[in-house]
Amino acid sequence: MIGLVWRVIRADMLDSRPAAYVVSCLCTMDEESLIAAAQQGKVEAFNELVLTYQQQVYNLAYRIMGDPASAADATQDAFISAFQSIGRFRGGSFKSYLMRIVSNRCYDELRRRKRRPATSFEDFGAVDEEANPVLTNGHERPEEYAERQEMSRVIQAGIETLPPDQRITLVLSDVQGLSYQEIAEAMDVSLGTVKSRLARARGKLRDYLRSQGELLPARYRLEPRVAEY
Amino acid sequence: MARFGGQRIPEQEQRDELLSAYLDGELSADERARLEAQLAADPVLRAELDALRHTVALVRALPAVSVPRNFILAREIAARPRPARQARPRLAWAAPFLTAATAVASLLFVVVLAGDLLLLGMGNRASAPVLEPQMAAEAPRELPAPVPASEEDVVVEAEVEVEVTVEVEVEAEGEVTLGAVPTETPLPMPAEVPPEAVPPVTVEAEDYAAEVAADVDATAVAMGGGGTMEPAVPAPIPSPPVAEKAEEALTTLPTATTAARAAVGVAQPTPSKVGEAGLPLEAARDEEEEAAEPPSGAAESESERVLPQRPVIPPWRALEIALGLIAFGLALATIWAWRARRR
Repeated sequence: MIGLVWRVIRADMLDSRPAAYVVSCLCTMDEESLIAAAQQGKVEAFNELVLTYQQQVYNLAYRIMGDPASAADATQDAFISAFQSIGRFRGGSFKSYLMRIVSNRCYDELRRRKRRPATSFEDFGAVDEEANPVLTNGHERPEEYAERQEMSRVIQAGIETLPPDQRITLVLSDVQGLSYQEIAEAMDVSLGTVKSRLARARGKLRDYLRSQGELLPARYRLEPRVAEY
Repeated sequence: MARFGGQRIPEQEQRDELLSAYLDGELSADERARLEAQLAADPVLRAELDALRHTVALVRALPAVSVPRNFILAREIAARPRPARQARPRLAWAAPFLTAATAVASLLFVVVLAGDLLLLGMGNRASAPVLEPQMAAEAPRELPAPVPASEEDVVVEAEVEVEVTVEVEVEAEGEVTLGAVPTETPLPMPAEVPPEAVPPVTVEAEDYAAEVAADVDATAVAMGGGGTMEPAVPAPIPSPPVAEKAEEALTTLPTATTAARAAVGVAQPTPSKVGEAGLPLEAARDEEEEAAEPPSGAAESESERVLPQRPVIPPWRALEIALGLIAFGLALATIWAWRARRR
């Protein structure tokens, strides 16, 4: 179904300069048509795709990188790269296509930081929940919201203890909900490698959460290992 | 249980992999049935599965974070040309083939090297018994000779004699300007070169056989009196004080020269021709040169034969080197291709 939707895009959404209003006509088309138009160089069509997927892409980058600023940089770079290489997209899942680009971008950045740690991860500080508020479901009480925030913080800290390849595999699978095959395509590895990395990531995170048992809200705590008693 | 690259992974990791695949429904029917049977019988395994399931549930329940801004592209940003580095290197797709090629080249290299070492070892063992008879046959040649066994050895002996005389000559060179005598062709100082020094030197000759072979030509000429080395420089008529020394040199010259000739197997020229006092040095040299010519010519031809040949790389060795270089180059290309592929 094709419809014509008028949108006003404020220029200050694109950069930090004072607002200069730009009126643009955007057509709401199905994804295949938007991709085809983007492949012909129409950036407006591509921006429609950006608006559709930016939440998921940013969440992926945020869970991998661990801080809002790095996640925003990775997301922006990924969309620019996706537009410049969209001519090579040959169909299939556009979401997987974007996930692949942003996960590669994050992976390169993590490796670069590991090689040249100009600043430590601690310098970024803990996740600033005020700057990056977690979406609320609108029905939870404040104490439930705080509880969920605490849990998120501990789990995110546990994810950041994982090596880059396991971290990305875990986030793609358990945060983004990609299948083994989609993860294999996104990371350009075999299915066996995906299974192995995912299992190791989950096992390490489980052990980490066990060690942090006292920090988690009661209902989120993992049962201690039976062998320890 | 699964193995990775042939290495045994810890038991816990093997168990986690099985449980993780079970949670995602990635096990085959047989594997699932086996695991469920184990779970029913093992409470520890059940606890591990529960903990893993709980962990996955916590991660899946992580709340979404809101985007700090829109990430739509501005026209000028979208219009930027694509950086050249983003293009995937062509070699990236060839990584598996490069891996196979590297493995093949490395295997061939190892096989050729092993074969070469084996053949070398067998060759050494085969040639060892032959060396002894050869050495025994050569022993008689070491005797200083009036009857040399071979011209090659003889040439060696003569060279050593000349070397001995060279040292002596250098000391007196400042005084006796035997201009036609080149530095390599000394005249012996009689008082300082006892004849008995000559035979013992022949023993040393064997030790310097290899070095001497290269200088045989010069040596042969030296035996002839050395006059031809600098033919353009005529022998000056020595002044009286020098003439005395020159006479002594001439007197002793036949001593060494005779020994040299004998070593070469040349019939001694009439010593009187050489030993006569007053003969111009040049004439004496010329005669000795003529007398020594045939043997020197023979020696020269012999020297040509004994001149060290250029080392020739055996074909097996060349093949080893080539295979080694190829394997190394392929290994580097393979590593680069896998790294590019990973990007």
